[in-house]
Amino acid sequence: MGVTEEALLDDPSAEPQPSGVFETELRRLSQRVAELEARQHSLARSAAQEDKITLLVFSNSLDRLLAAFTMATGAAAMGTRVSLFFTFWGTAALRRENVQTKKSLFARLFGWMLPKGSRNLPLSQLNMGGMGPLMMRRLMKQKGVASLEEMLALSRELGVNISVCSMSMDLLGFQPQEMIEYPNLTYCGVATFLERAATGKMTLFV
Amino acid sequence: MNATASLDARGKSCPLPIVLTAKALRELNAGEVLLVRANDLAFVSDIEAWCKKTGHELLGIVSESGFLEARIRKAA
Repeated sequence: MGVTEEALLDDPSAEPQPSGVFETELRRLSQRVAELEARQHSLARSAAQEDKITLLVFSNSLDRLLAAFTMATGAAAMGTRVSLFFTFWGTAALRRENVQTKKSLFARLFGWMLPKGSRNLPLSQLNMGGMGPLMMRRLMKQKGVASLEEMLALSRELGVNISVCSMSMDLLGFQPQEMIEYPNLTYCGVATFLERAATGKMTLFV
Repeated sequence: MNATASLDARGKSCPLPIVLTAKALRELNAGEVLLVRANDLAFVSDIEAWCKKTGHELLGIVSESGFLEARIRKAA
């Protein structure tokens, strides 16, 4: 470019040409600038993710649920929108304790063998046949750690969204009337989860 | 500056101090100050992060005997 420019300026015979060459070059450059600006805009748009996080709750262990709800209530307190997706074994954590429903054999077995709701969850370690969670809960109370039930209440209050995987419900034979009362609790599938996760800032698998 | 309201989160562990702070601050008007007492080990770090994220102003944290006292001014 510099060479051409100099050559053009030095050579008087080239006098009528510059405007033509410069104009072409200028047009090319301004087109390029417009292109890059458009690309920069679209990049900025995709980078501006919403202030929300998504937690995929797969497990029904008390310790894991405590971690999930600590993050959920903490994030909600920081003004972040939170979605909890309960799937597979996790769905059992949202059951109510005494609901009678008509079920098939397998559904009855799952219902019988999986924990009935937040108060009956095992620990992923040191469960000791159910002694572990009892001791853990007592210790938590002593140490001022919020119980799972308190955190569920806080989540409700702070507007944490809870969705339940419909496939897991179907597979394990859980019915909507067996699940806890929670504002806007919805049953959904993988598309809902992926859409919400992809537009959020963080997704964790618990 | 005098606090408009106060919150006692002493003896409460993470995430309760910040969750309760967020709840308590909802009741205040912009510019009003909330006094939070806590003795959770994470309190200093967490309340700083919380204020940074939410935009409320951390006026200061004072160490009292056995606990901490933070003053937070609610943002507009």
